[in-house]
Amino acid sequence: MGNYINRKTMLDARSVHSIMEDTCQKIAPLWSLENFVAVNPYWGLRDKSFEEAANLLSKTGGVQMTMPVSFYLDAVRKKEISYDDLENALSGYDEFEDVSVHDFLKQVERESDANRPRRRVALVADVAAQLTAKDWSAWMIERISGWAAAYFDKGQALWRTAAPGQDIFTSWKIETLTDVTPYIMGLRGFGKALKTLPNEPFQAATESIERLQLTEKSLGIYLHTLLQRVGGWSAYMAGLDWDNRLYGGEQGHLLMFLSALLSWESCLLDSVQQPDLKKHWQENIKQLEEIGNEKQVDSLLGHRLILQQAYDNANQRQLIQQVNKANTKKYIPNREPLVQAIFCIDVRSELFRRNLEHVSSRVQTMGVAGFFGFPVEHVPIGHETGENQCPVLIPAKTKVMEVIPEIEAHQKAVKQRLLHHQVEKAWKSFKKGAVSCFSFMGPVGISYLPKMYTDAFGLTRPVPHPASEGIKYGAYQQADISLDVRQLNDQAVGMSMEEQIEMAFSALKAMSFTDHFARIVLIAGHGSSSVNNPHATGLDCGACGGHSGEANSRVAVKVLNNPAVRKGLAQRNIFIPDETLFVAALHDTTTDDVQLLNEEELPESHLADLTELKEWLALAGRISRSERAVRLLTDTGKDIDKAILRRSKDWSQVRPEWGLAGCNTFIVAPRERTAHIDLGGKSFLHSYNWKSDEDFDVLELIMTAPMVVTSWINLQYYASLVDNKNFGSGNKTLHNVTGGIGVLEGYSGDLRVGLPWQSLHDGEQYQHLPHRLNVVIEAPIEAMNKVLEANGIVKNLCDHGWINLLAMNEAGQITQRYLGNLRWTSVSESEKGALVA
Amino acid sequence: MVNQTLLVVPIIISPLLFILTSILSSFWPGTRPAPVIRMGAAATKVNLVVALYGIMLVAIYGASEGGTPELGGLGLTFRLDPLSMLMYSMIALLGFIIIKFSRNYLDGDARHGVFMGRLSATIAAVQFLVLSGNLLVLFLSWVLTSLMLHRLLIFYPERRRAVVAARKKFIVARLGDLSLLVASILIYLQYSTGNLETIFKAVKESANLPIGVEIAALLLAIAALLKSAQFPTHGWLIEVMETPTPVSALLHAGLLNAGPFLMIRMAFLVSHSIAAPVLLIIMGALTALIASVSYMTQASVKTALGYSSVAHMGFMLLVCGIGVYPAAMLHLVSHSFYKAHAFLASGSTVDTIRASRIKEPRRTGNPIKIAVSIFFAFLIYFVFSAFWGIDHSRDFALLATGAIVVMGLSQIIAPALDSDGYWISVVRASLLSILVALLFFSLESVSHYLLHTQLPELIEPNTLTKLLIVSVLAVFAVTVFIQIIAPVVKHTIFWQKLGVHFRNGFYVNAFFDRLTGAFDIQYLSQKLK
Repeated sequence: MGNYINRKTMLDARSVHSIMEDTCQKIAPLWSLENFVAVNPYWGLRDKSFEEAANLLSKTGGVQMTMPVSFYLDAVRKKEISYDDLENALSGYDEFEDVSVHDFLKQVERESDANRPRRRVALVADVAAQLTAKDWSAWMIERISGWAAAYFDKGQALWRTAAPGQDIFTSWKIETLTDVTPYIMGLRGFGKALKTLPNEPFQAATESIERLQLTEKSLGIYLHTLLQRVGGWSAYMAGLDWDNRLYGGEQGHLLMFLSALLSWESCLLDSVQQPDLKKHWQENIKQLEEIGNEKQVDSLLGHRLILQQAYDNANQRQLIQQVNKANTKKYIPNREPLVQAIFCIDVRSELFRRNLEHVSSRVQTMGVAGFFGFPVEHVPIGHETGENQCPVLIPAKTKVMEVIPEIEAHQKAVKQRLLHHQVEKAWKSFKKGAVSCFSFMGPVGISYLPKMYTDAFGLTRPVPHPASEGIKYGAYQQADISLDVRQLNDQAVGMSMEEQIEMAFSALKAMSFTDHFARIVLIAGHGSSSVNNPHATGLDCGACGGHSGEANSRVAVKVLNNPAVRKGLAQRNIFIPDETLFVAALHDTTTDDVQLLNEEELPESHLADLTELKEWLALAGRISRSERAVRLLTDTGKDIDKAILRRSKDWSQVRPEWGLAGCNTFIVAPRERTAHIDLGGKSFLHSYNWKSDEDFDVLELIMTAPMVVTSWINLQYYASLVDNKNFGSGNKTLHNVTGGIGVLEGYSGDLRVGLPWQSLHDGEQYQHLPHRLNVVIEAPIEAMNKVLEANGIVKNLCDHGWINLLAMNEAGQITQRYLGNLRWTSVSESEKGALVA
Repeated sequence: MVNQTLLVVPIIISPLLFILTSILSSFWPGTRPAPVIRMGAAATKVNLVVALYGIMLVAIYGASEGGTPELGGLGLTFRLDPLSMLMYSMIALLGFIIIKFSRNYLDGDARHGVFMGRLSATIAAVQFLVLSGNLLVLFLSWVLTSLMLHRLLIFYPERRRAVVAARKKFIVARLGDLSLLVASILIYLQYSTGNLETIFKAVKESANLPIGVEIAALLLAIAALLKSAQFPTHGWLIEVMETPTPVSALLHAGLLNAGPFLMIRMAFLVSHSIAAPVLLIIMGALTALIASVSYMTQASVKTALGYSSVAHMGFMLLVCGIGVYPAAMLHLVSHSFYKAHAFLASGSTVDTIRASRIKEPRRTGNPIKIAVSIFFAFLIYFVFSAFWGIDHSRDFALLATGAIVVMGLSQIIAPALDSDGYWISVVRASLLSILVALLFFSLESVSHYLLHTQLPELIEPNTLTKLLIVSVLAVFAVTVFIQIIAPVVKHTIFWQKLGVHFRNGFYVNAFFDRLTGAFDIQYLSQKLK
């Protein structure tokens, strides 16, 4: 290949590398279904504004970042969006300064959603597709996805065929050279082209870029498009890099994958039997440069973004009105509660907390991220590795073991589980092995007849619950957590006293919970219960890294009940009275059952109070279930409690619960600001009292951690809703779990990210609406500004329209709106309308 | 055979109710079709009762038939005998679960009613197939099952891969239909009747098959191979997870069985034929081997299950070729329940993987321990076969089937014995293998007892067939042995490459993709309209 016309624009290795790395940063991570944490799929673009990101993604991936116009027009017709909302939205754009709302709507209606051809970035696969009428892109995704699933497989295949010991690029290259499919597809020179590429991934990438004749201006947008095309697997590899960054493992997975994709494209360019391809590809590179330079937002997209802004304005207006109206009367909480119940900030807690407080005025509730400030790695009985029970933004700090308190029983359980696993392994090799599966089937297959019936009626689970698998039920019931410091497989486990005191101190600080301890403090983690649901862990606690919060709640309670820890805390001016008892609990969000976890340890002295508490919890559960039934159950008139319980055990149920659907608000304030408001299970609630936050450290913590996490969750729902094809996981009835990592929709295609359609829509209406998160914080503006100034990422999120930040004053009134760049404005009178009304 | 039209006819109530459900669904095609769901549920319940009735009928009167009078040996004749009732009850049990499952699983789907309707219609078609008492009903219901299935496969017509799979299936199915049609005509011409009972009697009485029937038997075998997605026509089957899970359950547990069922139904013809068993053995064994290895390499659960079904169908057809029909039937029933469950429970894969992060014992790679495992498996087999009174010198076919069981048993014991895990796990694994052997021999006896009236006597295979069977056993044995030692040998690039070829099913599907224009943009855009 001698005749480069534009040698001068060729790239040197260093800038190639940095462009490749920058591109990898644009891909948001994805976690496997084992701990399906909510992720903001736009995370890599947080330094861009919402508009810019929408514009970019529409070109690189054909991604929609708003609903179709008809959705908004419908909302205007139904008066959900008012003219004021629209006017406010329009006022943000200079070019619409003189346009009246009426004219704007007229214009939008005319355009409707007609599919005007939009400029999209084309890969070699796309250019070749146009010339040969073959969908090379779909073919590439199918081949790459097939390899990736085999390479990352967590235990589906009995025969690991992609050599997981090799690095990504080597494994991919060997596989692709072995694969005969390109030849069958008519790409005779594909293998030859690949063979001549270097074995070292980065060199192969540079060489491919040369063969593709990409220029500095075109490279960035091209690479972004390339990763986006296999966006699911890219995201998974970004997730591996993410975890390894936190825990000090090897990074660069995604970079290697990008090299593989680049190699694929260059080989395709060299092997498609179409003489015009190279000429067209050259023209396309020019187009890439142009598109890369374009900053202007396509007008159709621009209009939809304005409509979305108006839709958000409407939502915000309602929130402000609701909160401000309720807070015209001062709510006086019970200063001497019997029970203080701490829940996760999760929107599902809001509903339960409200009902619990209604059931008894002697209960006061609080909200904090559901790992309760105890980021632990939890190692289940007999397991080799643990699970990180903390938000994915931070690393787990200590390792704790699940144990059965009685030593003999514990050892027995460990042996039981190991033994079970060993026999299971032998059995599996028999059941799944080639040929031996035939001797399995005849005699054993028939036993699946009764199993099928007991599973169908919810009497058994299709497979045992992972938490109790291989251990006798009675023994599992006694399982607890040990904080004892010791060595296990060359690693230190347990928590030292200093560590315990330190964690307890910062945890209590983070909750603004340093005095007025009640007689009973309930710490309720949450988990979900569903069967046969690949996305089950997505319903668990996100703050616990996609696990049940049970372990964290147990750890927190163990630490805080320890007299030595309390002594240590007293030295740091937190005085927990002797009569205060911390009680661990687990809130099952599917059934709204709250179970106490450490009951057998609880002292006689508190028994009567606890009995009462259990009654309240049960009653609150019943009320919560009937409240949720309205959204959840289609056939009313049945016994609600039973119906909801049945759902949680139904292997055919695609909507065991609504999860966090509907989430649109995060309120950071003392509970008395919201205790009397029905927020409809759509608000995250974090307890925070700025007056006791001397240096605003806690505020900084809340804004940098829980606020980011709630935004991740909110934008995961948002993205899955507005573009389920790219950022959602499609139809649950077609899900095909691949490699134990994620799902394919059907037979082939890319790994799917985000939420299934069934988690957003009930068949008749949306259960989540496209609202960007409103964050309401009761704190001085200057304090918030200081936090924003010090934390670029958070500032980006607030400045760029990913989060709407609002300030609440001491009277519980939402009065200020953040405009960006540390500027604030008063909430307009019209929005506060309810005050007058 | 008793003609009991009045007693036999009630059995038709059940398929008729399913048809009614299907008709009802055209009035409630959309979301939350309550009447369709109620009707479907009622149909499955009635089905269970009717199945019980049919079993009692057969128990009291023996095999019976009934239906419209046959004109020229053709008519709507339904046959109730142990074989058809076994199939019929199996479908009733599966249908109940699958319809129940679809109620919540598709809740909210914009075409839930359509789905229930198509599902019901397909179940009805399968019921007619298993009940068929003459060639006319057999052929019509054979074609009908395929057409009904087609409508389920393209339930989401906007899905590219669904359309491609349905198209591949359509081509293969029509070839199969043609084979069955020609076979039926040949048989009809020979015996001047379509009535199965009359045909079976005639075959039993004649020493050798007339040439026309010999060809017919071969065509029947071909129809069965095509119906059951045998290599190299299996491509469509591994792609059909492009349609909701209950369809996969019904397809893999119900419709796919039509191939082996046809062989068992026509066992008198097939076993008397010279060529048909040879074809079944070759194609069945080849498919069983390739697909069961491919299965082990699949990383996606439903794709893996697809390969598994292909393999098991191959195995059943192989066993039919060997002539041990009761074993094939046992396999068929067991596989159906297993596979329906496996598909419906495929969402639980993640739970299994979450539970698997437990310290694994290391394989020690001790040749003596491996040899002992294999020896022990043989021992179990010989003890049982002696106890069951199998004459090894005479019952060659049984011996062959038994040999495959032995191979399997060594796969339970070896991983446990040849490892550094608890010794008690060896005991448990051994007990399990004894249990498996016990179950195999008991259930095979039960199957034989139930079906012996409908099946020919076990025939001593001819030398050619014997040779063929021995070669198959040898290849199977090598495959098992490789698996036993695989965890302890070094993985070379050769194995990696071989693995890739297996994972891709030796690219047969890629050829079919090209043939059907799976990635063809124009074709698809036309098709999707």
